[in-house]
Amino acid sequence: MALSSRTLEPADRIYFTLAALIGGVLLVYFASVPLLGGNLAFHFYLMLWITMASAFNVAAGFAGYLPFGYVAFYGVGAFTTAILVKKAAIPIFLALPLAGVAGLMLALLFAPTLRLSGIYFGIVNLALAGVCRLAITNMPDWLTGGSFGLQLGSRAEPVHSFYMMMAVMVAALATILWLARSRLGKALRATRDDPDAADMMGVNVPRIRLYGWLISAVFPAICGGIEAWYTNVVDTETAFNTLITAKTVIYAVAGGLGTVTGPVVGAVAMVWLDELIWRRFPLLNLLILGVATVALVLFLPRGIVGTLLRRKPQWRRYVP
Amino acid sequence: MSVAIETRALAKRFGGLVALDGVDLKVEAGETLGIIGVNGAGKTTLMNCICGLYRPDAGDVFVAGEQVTGQPPHVVAHRGVGRTFQVPRVFRKMSLIDNLLVPVLDHRASDAELIGRAEAMLERMRLIELRHNHAEELSGGQQKLLEMARMLMPDPSIVLLDEPFAGVHPLLCKFMIDRIEEMTRAGKAVLLISHDLTSIYRLSARVVALNQGRVIAEGGVDAIRDNPAVIEAYLGM
Amino acid sequence: MGLLILNGLANGLIVGGIYALVGVSLTLLYGVLRVVNFAHGEFVIAGSFLAFALFSGLGVPPLLALPVAAVTFFAAGWALYYVLIPRLALSDDPELMSFLMFYGVSIAAAALMLLLFGADSRSIDDTFSPVSVPLGPIYVSTARLVALGITAVLSLALAWFLFRTLPGKALRAAIMNREAIQIMGVDIVRLSAFAFALATALAGVTGVLIALVFPAFNPFSGAEYTIIAFIVVVLGGLGNPMGALLAGVIYGLAEQMATVFLPQAMAQIVGFAILIGTIFFRPSGILGTRMRR
Repeated sequence: MALSSRTLEPADRIYFTLAALIGGVLLVYFASVPLLGGNLAFHFYLMLWITMASAFNVAAGFAGYLPFGYVAFYGVGAFTTAILVKKAAIPIFLALPLAGVAGLMLALLFAPTLRLSGIYFGIVNLALAGVCRLAITNMPDWLTGGSFGLQLGSRAEPVHSFYMMMAVMVAALATILWLARSRLGKALRATRDDPDAADMMGVNVPRIRLYGWLISAVFPAICGGIEAWYTNVVDTETAFNTLITAKTVIYAVAGGLGTVTGPVVGAVAMVWLDELIWRRFPLLNLLILGVATVALVLFLPRGIVGTLLRRKPQWRRYVP
Repeated sequence: MSVAIETRALAKRFGGLVALDGVDLKVEAGETLGIIGVNGAGKTTLMNCICGLYRPDAGDVFVAGEQVTGQPPHVVAHRGVGRTFQVPRVFRKMSLIDNLLVPVLDHRASDAELIGRAEAMLERMRLIELRHNHAEELSGGQQKLLEMARMLMPDPSIVLLDEPFAGVHPLLCKFMIDRIEEMTRAGKAVLLISHDLTSIYRLSARVVALNQGRVIAEGGVDAIRDNPAVIEAYLGM
Repeated sequence: MGLLILNGLANGLIVGGIYALVGVSLTLLYGVLRVVNFAHGEFVIAGSFLAFALFSGLGVPPLLALPVAAVTFFAAGWALYYVLIPRLALSDDPELMSFLMFYGVSIAAAALMLLLFGADSRSIDDTFSPVSVPLGPIYVSTARLVALGITAVLSLALAWFLFRTLPGKALRAAIMNREAIQIMGVDIVRLSAFAFALATALAGVTGVLIALVFPAFNPFSGAEYTIIAFIVVVLGGLGNPMGALLAGVIYGLAEQMATVFLPQAMAQIVGFAILIGTIFFRPSGILGTRMRR
């Protein structure tokens, strides 16, 4: 987009260099974890949360929606993957993209809710996630495994799924980087800031909103699938756990919505904090998550990166 | 001279409140039509119906000869209509440049070209220094200028201005008046709502006076100025 | 079948009354403060736990727990208001930020209850004798009947408060037009604090009633009640206390009758269906919205 047809201003060059640097560091860091015998589980879930928070950022930061039932995409992706692998004997490398498609289809199904305003949308989305969960719970046991859930294969493949997660994380970050600079991204943000004014400026608001919504649905669905592959098991309790939405939202907000690095920073900071607290005070974990959220909203409503950019607006052009 | 904007028997109500009660209007290319009236007379409602933000309950809207009644704003915008708002509705968390790029996102031109045009526009509006700032950091008057610049980016042939001078510093007013005169000279059709009767009388060849959703007077500036119905409407409020 | 239907109706009224109260407190909160209290269900269940703690720890009968809950929750609400709300008003988008903040509060509250009481389901049993009372052809538990009575009394008291007393009228006025009421010299901060405290007190009291009516509750039951509260509020019209009362009863009846006629799985969806249906087809609720948006 902005790359091909003009010479880059120095600010843009810094922007893309920084983005490449961060991406490179993430890549090298995570790639080396299995090779150096690091904590696979911790890093797998760190990548998962980075991806989830970033994808959520597309819905919330770019498009301006707070889908409080975001876990619906995750759960549907997880079950789609499990069912395809276990029941239809489809190889995982095909099942995962299909899980993404399932996420897209669910997003399309939910699309009529996009014209609702902020709170209404949030509540309805939460209710729709509940409906999804109920629907899957009530599907025949031979399909969804009932209360025991589904087991994908004879054994888990942690390293393979780890690298797949890494690939998806990089893909998600690249997509969001592209979105941030693209025309679609500008249209989305205009729609978020003032839908009527955007409409008046020629932006096809309903269509643009749909595009943003679809993009934000693909990655959580694939994440659900990869996590299913990683743990080798899927059930409604864990796949539709409301804590998944909670953590995604909180991590994204902690970092700062609307920027590319925000959710990454937020996820890293919060997962690290979570790990630290969990080791020392395993029982207080949930409580601290809740209190941290309240504190964030009260004192750091724009998140870490957002607040930093507020203090130093001149940095906005350089920070992805 | 072609008819750029035409409304026929336009009507709009909100619950029990009748905002527009059968308004017929015509604006030709290259002409500036002034709309005056007290608060609540229906001026902004009229504009909203024309540009598609409201769907009229009755009547029709024609833009550049095509019927656009009830069409969404982006469709009307693509027929060459641009608009500013009474209270500036800039895209607060986007840079000035990005604000200006929004109306031309679907143009075939390259990014470089569009950015170049945006920067040129910002130069003319004397906002170029702030081009990377977020729009919310601008003062009220600057935001009005930004809105005008944004509106002009796709080079609309029909321009709707809703109280462009409201709350604006007199020097800035002069600047904006010059810009509006430019528009008319360029052959654009301008529909101008304003409380500032001096500017209206200076810019418009014709004026329409609205009261309680109806046209109570229409004609040249002098005729309107002395029209008893208009005087009564303003004084009797 | 006839018996089932009668039971369904009776339960529908009882449960509906509870839902009505849950909805009223949330709608007052939203109407006056424009705050979306995602933690509302947790506030309610906290009331249930308070009743449980008083009963199992100190032998306090639930009926006495009602005033205790009312007072403690009122005070807690007042304090919570001043801690949480003023900063919220300064942010770019207070409504959405309140959503997020109370999300956090709901997690923290559930976690706190989990820590204090553990994850097991709790209940308050056998507090009345006789345990159940014949009502025509059906038997209704005494506890439930008492709860219904209290609900009715509370609703009347609330209606009287809102329509006949000055602070109540001030609340209704604030719901209708927040700006105007400030121009008339009302201290909107104190009024808002009062509304928050009142809504919290109401939530706590409702929690005690829930302990009487429903067989069991646990720290995670809060989420259910939050959704129910939202359904009732949307159905009754945002900010409309009378609407919430009516909507709660209607929803309670619908839910109970659904379990009579539909299979279990379908019955659970009824609530969601009502919510989604209302938002799409009649977003101002059955009695219409009372406030300016």
